Amino acid sequence: MTQLIAQRPEPGTPRPYRFPAVVRREVAGGSVVAADLPGQNLAVASLLLDAGGGRETIGTEGVAEVLAKALEEGTATRSAADYAVALESLGTDLSLSVDWDSFAATVQVPVGALPAAVELLAEAVRRPKLDPADVERVRDDEAESLRLYWANPGPRADAVLRADLFGAEVRHGRPLSGDPRTVAALSADDVIGFHRSWFMAPGTLLVAGDLSRIDLDALGRSAFAGATESSPVVGEPFPAGGRATRRIVLVDRPGSVQSTLRLGHTAPHRSHPDYVPMTLGAIVLGGAFTSRLNHLLREVRGYTYGIRSEYGLSRRFGRFVTSAGVQTAVTAPALVDAVGEIARTQAEGVTEPELAVARDWRAGQLSVGLQTPRAYASALATLVVHDLPDDYHARLRESLLGATVDEVSAATAAHLNADGITLVIEGDAAAIRSDLEATGLGEVVVAAV
Amino acid sequence: MSETGYPWPIETTRLANGMRVVVSEDRSAPVVAVNLWYDVGSRHEPDGQTGFAHLFEHLMFEGSVNVPKTEHMRLVQGNGGSLNATTNPDRTNYFETMPAEHLELALWLEADRMGGLVPALVQETLDNQRDVVKNERRQRYENVPYGDAWLRLLPLLYPVGHPYHHPTIGSMEDLNAAELATFQAFHRSYYVPDNAVLTVAGDAAPAEVFALAAKYFGGLPAGGARPPAPTGSLADWAGPVSSVVAAEVPAPRVYLAHRTYPYGTTEYDAVTVLATVLGQGRGSRLYRLLADGARLAQPDSVSAYGVDLAYAPAPLIASATARPGVTAARLGAALAEVVDELVSGGVTEQELARAQALLETDWWTAVASVDGRADLLSRYSTLFGDPALVGSRLPGWRAVTTADLAEVAREVLRPEDRVTLVYEPMEAVA
Repeated sequence: MTQLIAQRPEPGTPRPYRFPAVVRREVAGGSVVAADLPGQNLAVASLLLDAGGGRETIGTEGVAEVLAKALEEGTATRSAADYAVALESLGTDLSLSVDWDSFAATVQVPVGALPAAVELLAEAVRRPKLDPADVERVRDDEAESLRLYWANPGPRADAVLRADLFGAEVRHGRPLSGDPRTVAALSADDVIGFHRSWFMAPGTLLVAGDLSRIDLDALGRSAFAGATESSPVVGEPFPAGGRATRRIVLVDRPGSVQSTLRLGHTAPHRSHPDYVPMTLGAIVLGGAFTSRLNHLLREVRGYTYGIRSEYGLSRRFGRFVTSAGVQTAVTAPALVDAVGEIARTQAEGVTEPELAVARDWRAGQLSVGLQTPRAYASALATLVVHDLPDDYHARLRESLLGATVDEVSAATAAHLNADGITLVIEGDAAAIRSDLEATGLGEVVVAAV
Repeated sequence: MSETGYPWPIETTRLANGMRVVVSEDRSAPVVAVNLWYDVGSRHEPDGQTGFAHLFEHLMFEGSVNVPKTEHMRLVQGNGGSLNATTNPDRTNYFETMPAEHLELALWLEADRMGGLVPALVQETLDNQRDVVKNERRQRYENVPYGDAWLRLLPLLYPVGHPYHHPTIGSMEDLNAAELATFQAFHRSYYVPDNAVLTVAGDAAPAEVFALAAKYFGGLPAGGARPPAPTGSLADWAGPVSSVVAAEVPAPRVYLAHRTYPYGTTEYDAVTVLATVLGQGRGSRLYRLLADGARLAQPDSVSAYGVDLAYAPAPLIASATARPGVTAARLGAALAEVVDELVSGGVTEQELARAQALLETDWWTAVASVDGRADLLSRYSTLFGDPALVGSRLPGWRAVTTADLAEVAREVLRPEDRVTLVYEPMEAVA
């Protein structure tokens, strides 16, 4: 006989949340910011430079990514092949990432190998060979790589949405990595010039690991050797703006068995005072599994494997995006449902039971999500990029747990824009166009990409 | 350097109903990982029921006797946790990572769906999740270039009737035919305590976990006799085999695959190292020879890896995408040459050291979180009957020699045992 316990258990006593002490050092003209993880076998070091996509000029978008790939094509003292073997024999690759606000080069190794790995990291970032013939080859490979990537559903829809929200005449109105054509048109001088302009500032070295086994000052001296410029000034946020009318932009993908939805509008930048209530509202709408959007479109209708909404926020601009892949035949009803939930959330706000899930989830994720050295390094990067205080994570937990229904509902009312949202649909135009027109959600235009 | 790959304590017990419980305490973060492996995967599926183990995994989130529909997800996320589940040919796992004070909640939820799913399972739920899974199939396999490569490789590698012949996602036809009674019977056979391992890793004491496991799972009866897992023979497999697909893809791509050894054997440790030599990183053979040297392959497209399956010789797969102007035939010949060279020329000490260093970091990354540890402990309990064997994997990789690599390369990379899958862009074929 099966005996189940019917009564749901009460929680035990919470243990205190604790972000590790943040250690800061000024060394050799740069800053080291570290988190101590006692007993951890692995260590991560990441050199963060103010050299992200936001620093690229119109017409050279994607140059930071090409430079990232070119850094590994040999250094002042080593061939590309020798460099790869030297670094990988320590147990790490050189992980290079570009976002709107920063460029990061990261190594992850057993802690004893960290000094040698940071030395090699600095060799590639500060003293790359950047032979023009190599740079042109890397550029061609990157353009082809983007062409292959753009054959997937998503990148074209995202580019169309970005251009519609911000306008293609500003840098952030174009794709972060550029597109296959713009990257193919970059010159070796563009790439070498970007290095000269933005890679000579010292930047910040982030370190996460067992600090009793790590000499932060020595790592800083390695990372900042040869840096000559001062840190660049961060510009003011762009005006957020926003459309007053809704429109549907169709991106044709003949024969597609699903339609890829990217529904979005502009939003405030990352440091906006409404950051906490705004992002909690997005969790209620489309962040949690039981969110309004996922519940209706997946668990009730079965239209999709999953749908989510979130704010993408950087230092100078932000946007709200809802993303999903839905079966082609149900594209129009799925769109109607999605816009309906966004509009309802803007108009009516959130309820306490929904908000309770959102705030406890995000607060809990601060400890659940922060276990590995890489996760701690990423948390340190947030502090540096957005100029936040060392006790930011502890305070964030308190402000998440303290957010009220009124505050979050006010933020959804202020920052969602259901009437001005742009609905980009990448799918089989011949199969879905008339259905989309019949929804009455907005004028349907076909994008040329 | 640590001698073992698992320097944390491991304690085990077995409940009277046969359920195995593993605990690995670590107080360094206020977080606890709960992980269950059920010894059932797509290898158990009979003809006409492909995709059922995975569709069943979805049903496990849709409510049970004391947990209404949608409550499972709401209770885990709404108490700060992360959760998910996965199905593969070998097994199905379920896991959540919670702030430590919610350990008991997680165990209650897992016990309720182990012991009380069937009465709550209704046709409407099955129909809804069948649609969700069909959309998962479209999104992951059908709507992306090369997305169905795995679905195409499996039947080439394993003959009809072999448990690895069909993919875990199943066929649309079988999913459409799925009936409620089949799933009720599936649960009664496989979702029983004596077919499961429960692991808890992190901020909890073994005695506390054992007591809670007995409280919540102890009242569930052991299962009856289960059908024996199907076994398959490779004896009649005759190769080499190759398949060319004309598809909506942006460039030619070639996959070479070989059956090797089951995961967990010392020979498979050597295969893991060999795959790393061949295809991981810019210092790998494929990168140096095909991408950088001959410039035949897109640099970010080359890879080689073993698929860690335990109940038959596991596949080693190498693949590359052609650069502009390079034909599939030319790329395929060059890829085969690089693989053949592992057999004829062996591997250098420097290549071995590079691969072992990369694997060492991969290992410590996998065990850096309590959820990574819990999954490995469940895996070693389920597959090999002893969670402590988890500590032997890293030493196993460290012990591999260039002579071992030469020997496994000779054994498993024979051209006559090769499976080749080629994608050609539609317009190139027309």
